[in-house]
Amino acid sequence: MNQVLEILGTTFIILGALLFASGALGLVRFPDAYTRVSSVGTAGGIGIILVIAGTVLLTPSVSNVLKAVIVVALQLATSAIGSIAIARSAYLTGVPLYKQLFNDLDTDGHVTHEGETDRYEEDIDSANSADSADGATGSADVAESTPQGHEPHKNPHSTA
Amino acid sequence: MIGVDVAIVILALACLVSTYRILVGPSEADRANAGDLLFFGIIGLIALFGVRAESPFTYDILIVATLVGFLSAISLARALTRGKR
Repeated sequence: MNQVLEILGTTFIILGALLFASGALGLVRFPDAYTRVSSVGTAGGIGIILVIAGTVLLTPSVSNVLKAVIVVALQLATSAIGSIAIARSAYLTGVPLYKQLFNDLDTDGHVTHEGETDRYEEDIDSANSADSADGATGSADVAESTPQGHEPHKNPHSTA
Repeated sequence: MIGVDVAIVILALACLVSTYRILVGPSEADRANAGDLLFFGIIGLIALFGVRAESPFTYDILIVATLVGFLSAISLARALTRGKR
């Protein structure tokens, strides 16, 4: 029984620590204040709850279990509220959202950096105008060539 | 007990990472958020050190620490907006 409790407690502690580490990884790697708030609020709260449950399983007694239930309830309630309060204050102070660098729906997936969109649209316009100019010259070539092609047909008829 | 040691190392690394975010965070909200995570890490470290030291007072400290952590998060969020709600 004691062995089973020890194995269960160690598993809970390691799981909680790994969840907490994933929250810290999100804190480093996420690009935005709001996404960092989300990673801290979920992973931090659940990870600490798992660690405390594991320590209770390692040192079981009645008073420890009662106090740990109080701690888990407080942690469940307060970590989410703290995260929401910090995210709301970030929104109120005008922390900028993460600018999306890559839009699949817009102009078949070219990279449009911040501030370069105008240049990129100019590139698109110049490319389109170049295409239309090529098409115009091509049609002009066709229009020039077709009379020359037709004239030998017409001229024999007209002369004949 | 080796599991407790491994968890202590992982939590200490997470605390170091959140300290890095406090130092270089671009906005104040990032710093407040990283401080929140650092406080959670300290709570977990207190619990794990209590297991290692076999102290009977760990859970009393944990109750006080969760309450203080909640108050610190709320007051940091309040201080970011300069008292405006």
